[in-house]
Amino acid sequence: MRKHVTILIISLMCVCCNKKLDVTPANALTPSQIQTEEDVFALLFGGYSTLQNANAFGEMYNTLPELIISDDDLNWAGTFSDYDDVFNRNQIANNFTIYQVWANGYHTINIANTVLSKLDVVAEDKRDLVSGEAKFLRGVVYFQLVNLFAQPYSSVNAATSPGVPLILEPVEGYDPQRDQLTRASVEEIYTQVISDLDEAVNNLPDEADNARASRFSAAAFLSRVHLMQENYAEAAQNANEVIESGAFSLASSFDKAFNNPSNSSEDVFAIQQTSQSNSGTSNFGIITFYAAYPVGRGEMQVTEEHLQKYEVNDVRGQFFYEGSSISGSQGLMTAKWSQPYSVIPVIRLAEMYLTRAEANFRLGTELGASPLEDVNVIRTRSELTPLSSITTVDQIIGERFLELAFEGDKFLTSKRLRLTVRGLPYNDAKLVFPIPQREIDLNNATPQNPGY
Amino acid sequence: LKRSSAQLNEVIVVGYGQSQKREVSGSISKVGGSELQNQPVQSFESALQGKAPGVVIENSSGKLGQGIKVRIRGTASISASTQPLYVIDGVPLTTSSQSDINNEPTNPLIDLNPSDIESVDILKDAAAAAIYGARAANGVVLITTKKGTRNNKSTIELNSSVGFSNPTKKRGFLNAREYVDALRAAATNDGRYEFQNGNPTGYASEQDAIDDYVGFVETELLDYYSLGTDWRNAATDVNWEDEQYRENALSTQLDLSVRGGNDKTRFYASGFYSDQEAIIVNNVFKRYGGRLNLEHFLTSSTSIGMNVTVSRSQLDRVSSDAAFSTPGQLMAQIPISPLIDPATNDLNANTLYANGLFDAKYNSDKQVTYRTIGNIFAQIQLVPSLFFRSELGADILNMTQNSFSDKRTQDGQGVGFGQFFSSQNVSYNTNNYFSFSPDISSSVKLTALLGMSYLQNDVLTSSEQGQNFPSAAVKNLSGATNIVFGSSSEDRYNFLSYFFRTNLVLRDKFLLGLSIRADGSSRFGSNNRFGYFPAASAGWILSDENFLKNSNALSYLKLRASVGLTGNAEIGEQQFRDLFVVSNYPNLAGFVPVQLGDPDLRWEKTIQYDAGIEFGFFNNRLSGELDVYLKKTRDLLLAVNVPSTNGYFDNVNFTNQILRNLGRLENKGIELLLNGRIIERTNLSWNANFNIAFNRNRIQDIDGQIIEGSFVYSRAMEGEPIGAFFMQKFIGVDPATGDALYLGEDDKPTADYSLAKRTVVGNPNPDFTGGFGTNLNLHAFDANVFFTFVSGNEVFNDAGRFMSSGFGNGFDNQTREIINAWKNPGDITAVPRSGFSYSTGHRISTRWLYDGSYIRLRQLSLGYTIKPKKAVQSIRFFVAGMNVWTKTKYISDPEVNTLGTQRTTVSNITSGIDFYTIPQPRTFSVGLNVKL
Repeated sequence: MRKHVTILIISLMCVCCNKKLDVTPANALTPSQIQTEEDVFALLFGGYSTLQNANAFGEMYNTLPELIISDDDLNWAGTFSDYDDVFNRNQIANNFTIYQVWANGYHTINIANTVLSKLDVVAEDKRDLVSGEAKFLRGVVYFQLVNLFAQPYSSVNAATSPGVPLILEPVEGYDPQRDQLTRASVEEIYTQVISDLDEAVNNLPDEADNARASRFSAAAFLSRVHLMQENYAEAAQNANEVIESGAFSLASSFDKAFNNPSNSSEDVFAIQQTSQSNSGTSNFGIITFYAAYPVGRGEMQVTEEHLQKYEVNDVRGQFFYEGSSISGSQGLMTAKWSQPYSVIPVIRLAEMYLTRAEANFRLGTELGASPLEDVNVIRTRSELTPLSSITTVDQIIGERFLELAFEGDKFLTSKRLRLTVRGLPYNDAKLVFPIPQREIDLNNATPQNPGY
Repeated sequence: LKRSSAQLNEVIVVGYGQSQKREVSGSISKVGGSELQNQPVQSFESALQGKAPGVVIENSSGKLGQGIKVRIRGTASISASTQPLYVIDGVPLTTSSQSDINNEPTNPLIDLNPSDIESVDILKDAAAAAIYGARAANGVVLITTKKGTRNNKSTIELNSSVGFSNPTKKRGFLNAREYVDALRAAATNDGRYEFQNGNPTGYASEQDAIDDYVGFVETELLDYYSLGTDWRNAATDVNWEDEQYRENALSTQLDLSVRGGNDKTRFYASGFYSDQEAIIVNNVFKRYGGRLNLEHFLTSSTSIGMNVTVSRSQLDRVSSDAAFSTPGQLMAQIPISPLIDPATNDLNANTLYANGLFDAKYNSDKQVTYRTIGNIFAQIQLVPSLFFRSELGADILNMTQNSFSDKRTQDGQGVGFGQFFSSQNVSYNTNNYFSFSPDISSSVKLTALLGMSYLQNDVLTSSEQGQNFPSAAVKNLSGATNIVFGSSSEDRYNFLSYFFRTNLVLRDKFLLGLSIRADGSSRFGSNNRFGYFPAASAGWILSDENFLKNSNALSYLKLRASVGLTGNAEIGEQQFRDLFVVSNYPNLAGFVPVQLGDPDLRWEKTIQYDAGIEFGFFNNRLSGELDVYLKKTRDLLLAVNVPSTNGYFDNVNFTNQILRNLGRLENKGIELLLNGRIIERTNLSWNANFNIAFNRNRIQDIDGQIIEGSFVYSRAMEGEPIGAFFMQKFIGVDPATGDALYLGEDDKPTADYSLAKRTVVGNPNPDFTGGFGTNLNLHAFDANVFFTFVSGNEVFNDAGRFMSSGFGNGFDNQTREIINAWKNPGDITAVPRSGFSYSTGHRISTRWLYDGSYIRLRQLSLGYTIKPKKAVQSIRFFVAGMNVWTKTKYISDPEVNTLGTQRTTVSNITSGIDFYTIPQPRTFSVGLNVKL
C-alpha cells in the first residue's frame, strides 16, 4: 500500500507539465499576430498616435524649436533643466528630451516602413492609399528630424552635410550590426522627403476621414519643404494647390482657429486630441507648457517685446492672457495653446496664403493671387486695415511671424532667411540639436554635430 | 558543555526543512521573533536592521509603508530585482510594490503582523539558498510563524503599546528677517555684478543697479507674497518646515494571541490591530487581521494542517517627494508668506509655490489591501525514515487605491481629479517533497530531500482617472464628469521546479551538503527555459577532534566552506519577445512596436564562494561566526541601450532598450558576529552582541555602457560600484568674486560650470554596516540597548539646488548655511555668492554631497515584569524608544533613498539620494505584555 502511495505521489508530481510555462502576452501583440489588412491599417493608425505624442507635434516639435530660436518673444520660466538648457542654448548631447524627439521620430519611421512592407496583405484597391499615407508619415517625420538635427538646407552644401540616418526598411528582431548607421546627407533626406510627399499627393484622397492625411495635407507639407529649399516656384505651386482646392477656408475669426474639439475649416493638417487621447496634461504636452497654471505649468511665457510687435487693432495681439507658472512666475501666455484636449493645428490655411504671397513676391509672379491680396486676406481676418502695397518681402515675413507665432514656424523661417537670432548667426552650431549622446555611444547616427 | 549545546542545537530553518545549527554547513543568520516584537515599525524587516551581518536594510523615507531596500551581501543585479526572496511557512511572498506607479513604491510586507513571527532565517550563501535556485541570487528570507505545541496548556498573550513620533532631525531654514536679509544680499550681488560685468546696462552707477535689483525683490516678491503684512518688521514669520510635520504623531498597537494544543492538535491563533500616524501630515497606516495556524494528527504518522493569515491594511498616502504638492516640499515656501490670507481668512492661496497645505487639507489617497497568505498541508510518514509532505499555498493580495484631488489644490488642476486603481495579485504554489533520513549507523547520518514545486502568479490591474468634479462631496469617480483614462492589464508568470538535497554528517564532525534545483519559467523563451542551480558545502567541527577536545578556552570550532550557483529572473513578464501595444488616437485605433526581445534570454547567474568559522570560547560564553564570501554574477539580465533608429520606442518609459544577458558584477565581503553571555545568574543576566559586515560591490563588465538612474549623476559603470555618484566637483569659492569653483577638465579650478569635469566622486554603498547591543535582566527589570551603524557611504542632497543654492534656482527659502555666503571681495567662505540673476554654484555638484555615515541608537527599552501568582503568568510594563539618538554629518536624517520610480533598473542604481525626503521618526512608546 505504501509503495502504491509513493508511486502515485511521484507521478502526480510530474504531471504538472512544461506546457504551463508557455504564457502568451495578454497586454500586447507579437509580430506574428499582425497578419491581416485590418492589422496593417491598425499599424498605420499607430503612426498617427506617434505624431500626437508629446515627443512630436503633441509638444516638442513646437516647444524645442520655439525655445532654441526665441530671441525677444518667449521666456522659459520653468524648472526642467532639459528645456532650460535649450532656451539658454546650453543643451548637451545627453539632453533626454532631445533624445525623446529623436527616438519618437524613428518610431514613426519604423511604423511607416513596416506598413510599406506589408502591402501584400492589403486589398489591391487600397494599396495606393495605405502606401501614400505611410509615406506621408515618413516624409513628414524625416523633414522634422533633418531640420532639428542637421544644419539648415540654406546654410550648407546639402549634398555633403550630414543629415540623419535614412532607413527605408522595417526593423524586425534585434541585430546590433545593422543598427550602426551613418548619417545620410541633408540633400538625400530632402530628396526622400519630397519623393515620399509626392507619392502621398498622388495617392491620397482629396478628403480624408477622421483628420487623416489628405492629398492637401501632403501638398501643404511639400510647400514647407520647397520653401526651406528656397525653391519658391514649387512652394507657390503647392500652396496654391491647397488654397485653390476650396477644401479649406479661414476660420471666421482668428481665435476660432485654435482650441477646437475638431478640425477648424482652416486646418490643412492637425493633430486630434480628446480627454482620453492626448499629448499629456501634467509633465508633457503642448498645453502643459504653454497654458497658465493650473491648467498647465505656464512655463512658456510671452514677452512684452513680442506684444509690442502687433499693431494696435490686431486681434492677434489680444490673443494673450495673464497667468502664473506652477512655480509662481507671473507672466503672459499665448491663448493659442490654452485649452486641454483640443486640436493641435500643424498646418493652417493661413500659412499657405503667406507662403504663396512670399513665393510670388520673390518670383514676381501672381500665381493664384497677388502677394498683396494674400497678405490682406490674413490682415483682414485679424481686423487690420488692408495694406495698399507691398514693397519689401519683410512685410510678408513680418506678417508670417505674427500669424504663426509660437506654432514652430519661426525656427524654420529664421534659418531659411539666415536671420541672426539673439546674437547668434542662423547656422550657429548651438542652433542645431545634438545627435543624442546615447546613439553616438552606440556608434550609431555618426558623426555628431559640431559643438557637442 | 551542557549549556553550549543548547545554543548549538538551535533549530535553523532551511529550505523545505530544518536542521540543527551545529550540522549546518551553509551561512544562515537567524533572528528570533522576540526581537521583532513591540517595535514601532510597519513591517518586520525594519526591525531586522543591523541585527544580521551582511543584511543591509534601508528605509527609504519617514513616510509609512514605503518600499524598503533590503540587500543581502550587496546588490547583485542591475536591471533585475535585487530584493531577496521572502518565503513564509513555505509560501513565497509577493514583495514588489503594487501601488500607483506615479507615486513611490510601497511595501507589500506591511500586511504581515510582526508579532506572529517566531523566527526569521536569512539564507546568505549559495549552499543555503541554492535550494531556491532561480530566485535565490539575492538571498532568501524564511519567515516562520508561531505554532502551538502538543500537550501544552493554552497560553494567552496580550501586547499593547502607545507611542509618539517626531522627526529625528529638521533641516532648519531662514526665519523672516534672515530671509529678507539674504534676499537683499542676493539682489545687491546681482546689481553689482550686472553693473560690473553685464552688457551695457543702462545704469548710471553701481548703486543704481543695486537699488533696481533690491527694489525688484522688495516689490515683486516681498510686497507681493507678504499679502500686506509688514515684512520689514517680520510681522509674518512662518516656519513652513514645521507645517509638514505633525506634533507627536500617535501610534497604537494591540496584539492578542492564544497558543496551545492537546495530544492530537496544536494551534496558534492571533488577532492584531495597529494604527500609526506618520510624522508628516496626512500619512497614516492602519492594519488589522488575524492568523490561525493549526495542525491535527490523524494518526501518529499522518497530519494535516493550515497556516493562514488574513489582514486588511490601509495606507493614507501623500504625493511623491518630487511633486510640488507633497508636504515635504512645504519647506520651500518663504517665511514672509502668511499661513492664512488676511483677505480671505482662509489658507493662503498666494504662495511662492502652490500651497501644499491645500492638498493636505482637501486631498486624499487611500490604498487598501486585503491580504490572505497561507497554506494547507499534509504530511505522511511512509516508513519511519521517509516522509512525504505536500503543501498547497496562496498569497492573495487585493488592493485598491482611491485618490482624490480637490479643484482648489494643485493636483486638482482647477477642476478636480480622481483616480481609482485596483490590483489583484494572486500566487498559487505547491510544494511536494520526500524527506529521507535512514538510520545507517551511529557515525553516519544521512538526510535527503527530493521534491518539486510549482508557482503561478496572476496579476490583474485596472486603473481609471476622471476629472471635473462638480463637488468635493463626491470623491470617487462617480463624481467625475469626464473620465479621461481607463485601462486594465493581465499578467502571468510561473515557475516549475525540481529539487534535490542531501546532507551527510560523518562521525558527528564532518559535514557534507549537496543540492541541485532545476527551474523553468515563463519568463524565458523555449530556447532557454530551464536553468540548473547546484551547490556543495562541507564543514568540519574541529573542536571535537582529539587535539582540541581538551582545550580550556576553546569550546567550539567549526570550519565550513561552500560554493554554488543561484539565479535571478525578476525581470517582469514577456521580456524575451518583440511586442506591439495598442495605441489610442482619436477614432483611429492602432498598434505601435514598443519592445525588441531577445528570444535567447536566460537566467542571470551568481556563483558564490563562502568560507566561515564558527567558534565558542569559555564554555561558549563568547561565541561568534566569521564569514568571507565572493559573489560573482554573470550573464546579467541587463537592459541594454539599442540604437533608437530601430524604431522600437517604449513611449511610456521613453526607453529604447533590449533585455539581454550581458555583463558581470561582483560582491565580496567579510562578516563577523560576536555574542557574549557575560553574566548568567538566576536573577542577573547580562549579554552583549556585536556584528559588522564589509561589502565591496563592483561592476566589472557591462559592455562599456553607462546606465543612469533616475538622476543623471547616479550611474552603473564599469569599474565602479553600482549607483556611483558621477558629477562635477565643487572645490570652493573664489575669494575675489564669490564664484563657485569646480575642478576643470585640466584639473585646474574653473568658475565655468560647462568646463568642469564630471568624475566619480562618491559611492552610495556603505563600506561597512552593523550593529551592537546589550541586554540586562536584573530581577524584575530588563533593559535593552541596540545601536546600528553605517559607514563610508555618500548621500547627495539633490534638493540642495533649490534649498541651499543662494536663490540660484528660485526664491525658495534657504537653509541656514546661506548666512555664510560670500559677500565682499576677500571673504574666505565655502558658500558661493548668492544671486538669482547671476547665480553661481547652483548646479549639480559635490557641493551637496555629504558623508552619509551614521551611528544610531536604534532601539532602547526598559521593562519591569511582575508575576502574580494566580491566573496571570506575567505582566511586563515597558518604555521603549526607536531612533533615539543619531550621530551623522548629514544635514537631515542619513537614512534616505528617494526611490522616485518603480522601474527596477533605475531604482537599483538610484541610491543615497535625498530629494525632500521625509526623515526617519524618533519614537517613544509605553506598553504592556500580559501572559495568561
